[in-house]
Amino acid sequence: MQAAVRMDEAELIRAAQQGDQRAFEQLVRLFDQSVLRLATNLLRSPEEANDIYQEAFLRVHKNLHTFRFDCSFHTWLYRIVSNLCLDALRKRKVRREESSVVETSEGLLDRMDTVQEQRADSDPERRLESQQLKERIQEVLGGLTPRERAVFEMRHYQGMRLRTIGEVMGTSEEAAKNCLFRATQKMRAALGDFV
Amino acid sequence: MTCEETRKNLPLFLYGELSFDEEEQVEAHMDECDACRTALAREKAMFAALDGAEMAPAPEALEDSRMQLRRRLAHSEHSIRRSNWWDKVREGFTIHFHFAPGIAQVAGAAAMLVLGFLTARMTPNSLLGNFHSAGMVDPTTSRVRYVEPLAPGKVQIVIDETHQRVLSGSLDDQSIQRLLLTAAKDPSDAGLRVESVDLLKDNSQSAEIRKALVYALEHDSNAGVRLKALDGLKQFAEDPETRQALTSVLLKDDNPGVRTQVIDLLVKRHTEAMVGVLQELMEKEDNGYIRMRCQKVLQEMNASVETY
Repeated sequence: MQAAVRMDEAELIRAAQQGDQRAFEQLVRLFDQSVLRLATNLLRSPEEANDIYQEAFLRVHKNLHTFRFDCSFHTWLYRIVSNLCLDALRKRKVRREESSVVETSEGLLDRMDTVQEQRADSDPERRLESQQLKERIQEVLGGLTPRERAVFEMRHYQGMRLRTIGEVMGTSEEAAKNCLFRATQKMRAALGDFV
Repeated sequence: MTCEETRKNLPLFLYGELSFDEEEQVEAHMDECDACRTALAREKAMFAALDGAEMAPAPEALEDSRMQLRRRLAHSEHSIRRSNWWDKVREGFTIHFHFAPGIAQVAGAAAMLVLGFLTARMTPNSLLGNFHSAGMVDPTTSRVRYVEPLAPGKVQIVIDETHQRVLSGSLDDQSIQRLLLTAAKDPSDAGLRVESVDLLKDNSQSAEIRKALVYALEHDSNAGVRLKALDGLKQFAEDPETRQALTSVLLKDDNPGVRTQVIDLLVKRHTEAMVGVLQELMEKEDNGYIRMRCQKVLQEMNASVETY
């Protein structure tokens, strides 16, 4: 089954390389959900996540003819996506760490309200606790370096192996492991009171 | 393995990223150490908390991104085709002028005239209006609608073709505005609606455009489109018809971002009619900011925050 899936993917890539737009669209659909999820989680902004999505797939479309099957398409695509996300995070660090909460004329509004939460709790007390925990997690994620954040997101939420993350980030498995280690250490230090 | 080494390895242990030997050592240590078992339980709790903090993009966000990408790709394909076509024509002409004898130059010029005449004949004038067109009818996408067997060995295939044309003109041009108004209601493409409404909103002095913005605000399924429409209507918050639409949106819209902006607009002026609306809103609103705004305005107007 796995081989059949891989064969389909390779066929789609070859067809898209020949200019078959439908094949390209199918190829996009194989991966775009996880790309948007990664970008949304990393940037915590639906608008910026969409920008990354557009830019990543336009680059894939433009450069697909250079793809030589030296690595998996997933790795190649994620290399593009993670570079774009890292650039966006670095630019943001220069500007200032951007919060998902924006000030309206007389109050605060969380732009991530338009994003679905994985879990919701109907008990108000637990909802408050979970809200505080969520805020603390956002805070600590904001405190990670762009690389730590990217490695953590890919390992924790996307379930990617450290070896693949290393390939995507253009570094060794060991370096990715150290990055993940530092990220989890910071998480533990910040979330210690909550768990 | 010591307690310190074990605890350092806990995240990698949970991620399954330790080597076989390291994993064995962690497990062996756990069997004998209560404190490290507790540390592992805490690490698992932290992982669970992090799992719960994942943000999944809303399903419509993925659909919007896909449509936007499809449109951008179609646009870039079109540009490439167009430039290829012109490159070939230009290239042909360059050769004629440099190397061909006089008679060939005349023939080339005549060919261009005929080509221009045919292109003009192929372009439906009704669509051109009085703005400039890049002027090409070029099939860009096609789809087999159905196939029908005819005589043995023969088949009839019906194909739907989509033609793309590039038009440009001023935003004040009525023909351009008509196209934008149509695009602002295209049910299949939220990205297109967002961009069209965004362009239209700067001309909201026109009654027709304002009507379209009110319609988008009240009926569009995409919150991004509704927010753009709202942006265009802000300067008309005092207009009774717009105010009525804003009130209806405040009570019905499911997006807290839209409701937040609407309430900010509506409460700038306190009217008696607002009291009932805000009281009704207080009964069902669950967004803290909006409730706070409601409450404050009702108190300022000496009205109860509840209905009886």
